[in-house]
Parts: sequence; C-alpha cells; structure tokens
Amino acid sequence: MLPNESIRRVLEAGLAKGADLAEVYLENKESLSLTLDEGRLEKATQGNDVGGGVRVFYGNNAAYAYTDDLTEASLIEAAGVAAAAGQNANNAQVCADLTKGESPVVSRVERPFEEMSTQEKAGILRQMDDVTRQSSPHIVSVQCGYTETRRRVWVYNSEGVWAEDDRSFLEFQGQVAAQKGEVRQSSAIGMGGQVGLEFFDDRDPVKMMPEAVDTALLMLDARPAPAGEMPVVITNGWGGVLFHEACGHCMEADFITKGASAYTGLVGEKVGPDFLNAYDDGTIPGRRGTMRFDDEGAPTNRTVLIENGILKEYMWDLTEARRAGRESTGNGRRQSFRHMPMPRMTNTYIDAGPHDPEEIIGSVKKGLYAKRLGGGQVEIGRGDYVFTVTEGWLIEDGKLTAPVRGATLVGNGPETLRLIDMIGTDMSLDPGRGMCGKGQWARVSVGQPTVRVPKLTVGGTE
Amino acid sequence: MDYLEFAQDVVSRAVERGVEAEAYVNVGQNTSVNVDRGEVEKLSQAGSKGLGVRVVRDGRMGYAYTSDFGTESVEKTIEAAVTLAEVADGDEHRSLPTPQPIPEDDLEVYDQAIVELPIGRKVEMARRIEKAALRYDDRVVLTNRCTLISQYGTVAVANSKGVAGSYDKSFIGGFVMAMAADENDRSVAYGFDFGSRLADFKPTAIGKDAARKAVGMLGGRPVPTQRASVVYSPMAATSVLGALSRALGADAMQRNRSFLEGKIGETVAADMVTVLDNGRLPGGIATRPFDDEGVPTAATRLIDEGVLQTALHDHYTATRDGTSSSTGNASRRSHATMPALDASNFYFQPGQEAPEEVIGGVEQGLYVESVMNTASINPVSGDYSISAKGFWIENGELSHPVNEVTIALPLQELLHNVKAVGNDLTFVPMMGALGSPTIRVDGVMIGGLTAEAQ
Repeated sequence: MLPNESIRRVLEAGLAKGADLAEVYLENKESLSLTLDEGRLEKATQGNDVGGGVRVFYGNNAAYAYTDDLTEASLIEAAGVAAAAGQNANNAQVCADLTKGESPVVSRVERPFEEMSTQEKAGILRQMDDVTRQSSPHIVSVQCGYTETRRRVWVYNSEGVWAEDDRSFLEFQGQVAAQKGEVRQSSAIGMGGQVGLEFFDDRDPVKMMPEAVDTALLMLDARPAPAGEMPVVITNGWGGVLFHEACGHCMEADFITKGASAYTGLVGEKVGPDFLNAYDDGTIPGRRGTMRFDDEGAPTNRTVLIENGILKEYMWDLTEARRAGRESTGNGRRQSFRHMPMPRMTNTYIDAGPHDPEEIIGSVKKGLYAKRLGGGQVEIGRGDYVFTVTEGWLIEDGKLTAPVRGATLVGNGPETLRLIDMIGTDMSLDPGRGMCGKGQWARVSVGQPTVRVPKLTVGGTE
Repeated sequence: MDYLEFAQDVVSRAVERGVEAEAYVNVGQNTSVNVDRGEVEKLSQAGSKGLGVRVVRDGRMGYAYTSDFGTESVEKTIEAAVTLAEVADGDEHRSLPTPQPIPEDDLEVYDQAIVELPIGRKVEMARRIEKAALRYDDRVVLTNRCTLISQYGTVAVANSKGVAGSYDKSFIGGFVMAMAADENDRSVAYGFDFGSRLADFKPTAIGKDAARKAVGMLGGRPVPTQRASVVYSPMAATSVLGALSRALGADAMQRNRSFLEGKIGETVAADMVTVLDNGRLPGGIATRPFDDEGVPTAATRLIDEGVLQTALHDHYTATRDGTSSSTGNASRRSHATMPALDASNFYFQPGQEAPEEVIGGVEQGLYVESVMNTASINPVSGDYSISAKGFWIENGELSHPVNEVTIALPLQELLHNVKAVGNDLTFVPMMGALGSPTIRVDGVMIGGLTAEAQ
C-alpha cells in the first residue's frame, strides 16, 4: 500500500504528543452484488471503498481519526487529530522497526472472482430462480442475490507490528414467498464462505433453493405455535446462533472489564453441563470469521471458551487486553476503516457431545423442535435473549408430528446454558451466511450439535 | 467544492455514453465520543465522502460507487455502472424521475449550532448523559457505551432529466446503557435521543431515562401464559410500525410480499387507527426536502380511520403502478447502495386520551415498556411474536415488573384489535423515524409461565 518509511512517519506523528501506542489501519474493499427479482436481473452494483485510520492510545483511552484519501500527508493529518489530546510532547516515544508478522492461517483463494464473468454469475441466479418457480404453483415471489467482497487490510503499530490480510467472501442468498388463499409465508436461505470461485467445486447454490421452498410451503399449512414453557430441541449447524447471541456476546471482553456482563468474574466457574465444550476459532480455513490477523494485527486463535462445563476464557481485543494487562486473543474487529475495533466473535461453536441426535428428539414427550432459526437479539448485561424459529415442529411422544409457525424463544443466556441437558454427536458449522450486528457489522460463523433445553419459554399464539 | 456542480458534472460525463444517469453525493463530518466514569475512553473524528452513480439504458439499470472523487476514479465508476447495466435485464418501468418543484419551506434539518459545537462541549454532553444515569438512584451500578455522536454534511442529487438539488443536514445523538442491581437481581436498560437541532437535545434526559427503566425492572418476573390486553409505550408500539411500514411499501405489494397486498380501499384496522408518513415534518429525523432520487418529499395518509388508502411509492413503483405518483420515499443507507423504498417519519396519529387513562382502562393486562427482536416481524405473513418487558396492570394501575415474556398476535388481527390511542405521540429514532402514542391492543397472546409451573 504505502512504503514502510511513510507508515513510520505516520506512526511517529501519532506518538508526537507522548502517546504510548500508535496504530495505522489501511483498507481496500472491492465488492460486486447482483439481485434477481421477479425473474429479472434488476440490481447490479459494484464499488470500491478505500481508506485508513490512525489510532493513538494514552493509557486506556484511545482517539481515532480516519481519511478516505490514502496519502502520507492525509494520514499524518489524521495522526495529528488523533494525537491532539496528548500533553507530553517532550517525551515522545520512537517507533520500533516494523516486522512483517507470520500467521499459520492460510487465506488462499485458488480462483479469483475475475475468472468468471458477471454474466455467468447472473446465470447462476437465473438457474436458482428457475428451479424455485417450477417447484410449486404456490410460490408467488422469488428473490436471489449474489455478493462477492474482497477486503484487504494492513495494520501497523509503533511496537513494530506489521500484519497483512486478504479476505475474499462469496455468498448466495435466496428468499421466497408462498401463498394459499389469504395465507402468505416467506422463507430465506443462504450459503457462502471465505473462498474464491473454487466454491463451486463442491457446493451448488441452485440446490439450496428447494429447502427454502419446502419451509415456505410447510409454513403455509402449519398451525400456530403454542405459547408457554416446554422442552425445546434446537437443530445443529445454524442453531449455534443461539449460543453466539445468548452467551457468546456476554463473553466479549468489553462488557466483561466494565463488569457489565452476566459472565463477569466467572472464569473457573461451572456455567454448563460437564459435557459442554465451546470454542471461538478464528483459524478454521474458509469460514466467514476466519482471519490471518485480526483488525489490530494480532494473530487469531482457537480460544477455549468453555471446557467440561467450566468457563475458561473471554474474547479480547487490544483495548480491553491493555486495560487488563494481558494479551489479545485476536478478537479485535472493525466493520471498516471508519470504525474503531472492538472485541467480536469469529467462528463460535459448541462442540460435539455424547447424545445420539435421534434419541434427543425421542426423549421429549411434548415440546418444540426448532428446525430452522432466524435472527435473534440479546441484552448483554443480563443475558436475556429472544430468537425467531422460522421452521418449528411439535414433538409429541418423541416424534415430530406437526409443523408450527410464528414461534419465538425467550430466555436468559447463562440460565439456558446451565439448563442444557443433552448435546448431540452431530456438530456442524452453519452454511455460511452469518452476519453479526453489535453497532458494527461483522461476518461470523456459528455451529453446534443438536441440543436439548428441558424448559424454555416459547412465544406462540395458541 | 460545490457538490451539486460536481454531481452535475458526473452526470454530463456519463450521458456521453448514451445512458440516462444520476449522481448522488454525500459528504459529511462525523464525531463520536465515548466516556467511561468521566474519562474520554474513545474519540473518533473524521470527514467522509461518497459518490454513487446510477445509469439506465433501455430499462436496464447499473450502479457503481466510490469514495475517491478524482477524475480517474470517477471515470472508472461511470464505466462500471454502464457495464453493469448491460448485464441487467430491461424493465419498461425503469427510468429516472423528471424534476418537480421543491417547496421552499424551512424543514429545520440543519443547525449551524451543531456544526460549530466544539469538541469540548461534546465531551461535556457525553459526561452529562453518564452523570445523569449514575446519579438517578443508588441502585444504578454502572453505565456502558455512553456515547455522543454528531454529524453534519451535504447531500446532492442530479440526473440527466434535469433533477438538481442539494441540502445541508445536521444530526446530534446520544446513547447510554445503564445497569441497576440490588441483592436479588440486575437489570439493564437503554436511553437514547437523536435529533437535528441542538436546542432540542437533552443529554440529561437520556441518562435519567436509562436509569429509570433499569431500576424499574429490578425484580421483574414472567407472568402466566394467557391472552390479555396489552398497553404499548410509544417506544414498544414502534414494533408494530416497523413491519407495517414495510408491508405498506408499494414494492412489497407489487411483488406479492405484503400481507396488505390487494387491500387498498378495505378496512384493515380499527377505526381509531390512522397511519401517516411525512417526509416534511419540521425537525424530524427522516425529514428532507427531496428523497434520495431527487423527488420532493410529502405527507401521505396511508391508513385513514382504519381504511387503507395508498402505499408508499418511489419513482419506479409509481411508474409501474400507472395511476400513482411517487410519495418521495426513495431512500439509501449510504452512497454505496441504490435507492430503495423506505418510510420517512412514519407514525400513528395520536388520539385524545392521556397515557394514564389508556392504562387506567385495563383491569388486568401487560404494560409493555420495551421490546426485542422487532426485526423478526414478518411483513409478508404478518406473523408477530417478540419479547417484551414492562409492568403488570392490575385494576388500571402498574404493579410488579415483568420480563422474559413474549407477546404475539398476527398483525392482521393486531391492527383490528386496537382499543385505545393516547395523545402522547413520541418519535423513536430507531429503524428510521417511527412515532406512536401509547396504544392499547386487546387479545394479545402473552407467552410466559405454564400453568403447572406456578
């Protein structure tokens, strides 16, 4: 991007008023997105977002300034703005030699996006649309989308950190609406990853569409979900979004160091059953949350969050790690150069447990099976959460008997985690469409095996 | 730099390639201050800019954007948009709007006082938010993410049909999370306020509001599962409005993605329900003289005393409809997205009763103060099931706090079951600018404890 001599001058401008750490973050993001609606390729957008920011630390306090003009002069100006609060110009530190960091994580794209024409990419959307429309006369609306993003980042700091990452994301999504008389239902699906065109070697977005159709059609005839407390079995894969929201956010260090999280002070304590193990792993090849280095230049890790039911570790970024006098776990992420980093999850999952998934469903006399989950929300301080079940089934005498619609799950994250009494052997990660919002957007992966919670509040209308 | 001239220049360069063209320019200055126990924990300051170019040829549309205003980058952006339009499929209704006179009334979306606000004052305001929360009650144990945001900038839109306009806008907002705790429980609540005028911005009220809600919810518990009357606070009622605004979009109706499709002229709600969208509300969060494709904004009556009158339109949906004109509701999140249909200041018209009277009319029911997961409400099916916190109503009075319950009722029924509308219209600056008074809805399913569990 810029020569290292320029970067050093920017860092030194950041240190000029006595700061103890200065950091430069540069970013180049290119993206293409295509939307097919009503059978027409309707929206085609392409763009480039380039910029950089300088962050300066005075103890635990940080100031940040950014620019979309990537010249040394503009970055030095930003460094001056960020450093402005400093009052100790006579004691300016010197920038250490920049040493290029190595990471065991390989983010290699075998076939770059450019090897396929936009027309061919649109052709895949047309196939997705065709398959969907032909599948049922009740399908009244189909939308299909394709997005590719290449995000290159460069991070340097005055302690000598020099980290580069090159992240390519490809994703497909589909939304369908079905109608019978006055009843309408919709369903969404998606897949993707951190990958180039080699994605198509073993995955086919056309084949995911029937699944969305099936859900929408099922929900047309589904009866309203019950309301009240009951046992709930949550699907593997994307079902892990519940752990991500309800517990994962409460293990991010920014809320921990403030004492504002339900998990504050609980490292070493029992927070779930003995057979519960959970990880945040930013190193899994090809996943949406994978990075060689995080957005502060720290290498990513496989962090053990919970081992045998005992809370082991939180997720740390540089700011919170400095506050606590420890190392970052490589969880410092930012949406773009216009944002300051904060602790975020990467690829977060509950690992396989001892129970046969069929036995888990078989064990429930009367309850709900959450086969497909939508989004959810958590209030981090207390851990209260809510989730939408986009495809639910009644479990009666150990069998899935009838689809139900309009179900919501509510509860308290730490309490739900303690209640879990069965964890399946069928751990899987989600199909690759997770997007997490915490004031800033970040791509993430989630995962889990089939999980049973013996008592959870279901919000239906019956 | 004159941004309107720049936009017009981009348009004239694009039309050389034989296309209809539109340029959208958004330039701004942003400051964000985060304080913790009085210290400036995070401070971010910068200017940003963006250009979006939309081209249409034979009904085929292409879009490209950049944050680099240099000649070479602009040429590349135009070229990308033109190339993408060749890939897109044609649609006879797709075109760019022609110019319409823009009324010159003062919409109060720009306040020089925000532009001139020195950084020290911003820090002081953020501290006032925090202090107000911590001082409210001994049980407020901490605050988090205490933030002050200020922005100002310019929007310019020009197209090859002759649309040319620009306006300045300003914005100031504050946010805080307060946590309250006693021996038995802890609870968290948020306070926030956003506006376009400095004089209306009350940092102390933000902190107090967060603290009051957090303390009030201590000791909250679920109630038994039952069907009952629910009284929504203005903030909670916006959970209904967000999904309703999407269902009322002509794009959703034309594409079979709205539970209100085909219902124009029909009674869709109780007769005390009137829903309005007003892009010209003075000082409103979503107020602006013209929308993001240059069409003048307007006040639109969508539901009038329970009868569905019209949908929200942008230039495309109005052209496709044939009998409607754009209601000025084209919107973009940033220069990086094409305009899409969205509500502006969207609200329930207030009624006569004071909020206490609305609550007083309920013998047994739930007063809902805040809700979560409103994004899950489905405008296609009308399915509505979210989590709620608030207070149990006993003989017209608020009694104990309630949490960990759900409230559910299909929107189709919910609109018909509105039984009282308060006089306290309040705008909530989330998901656009949604406004509601206190409202009462009967027959809502409350999901909580099962009978056996009591």
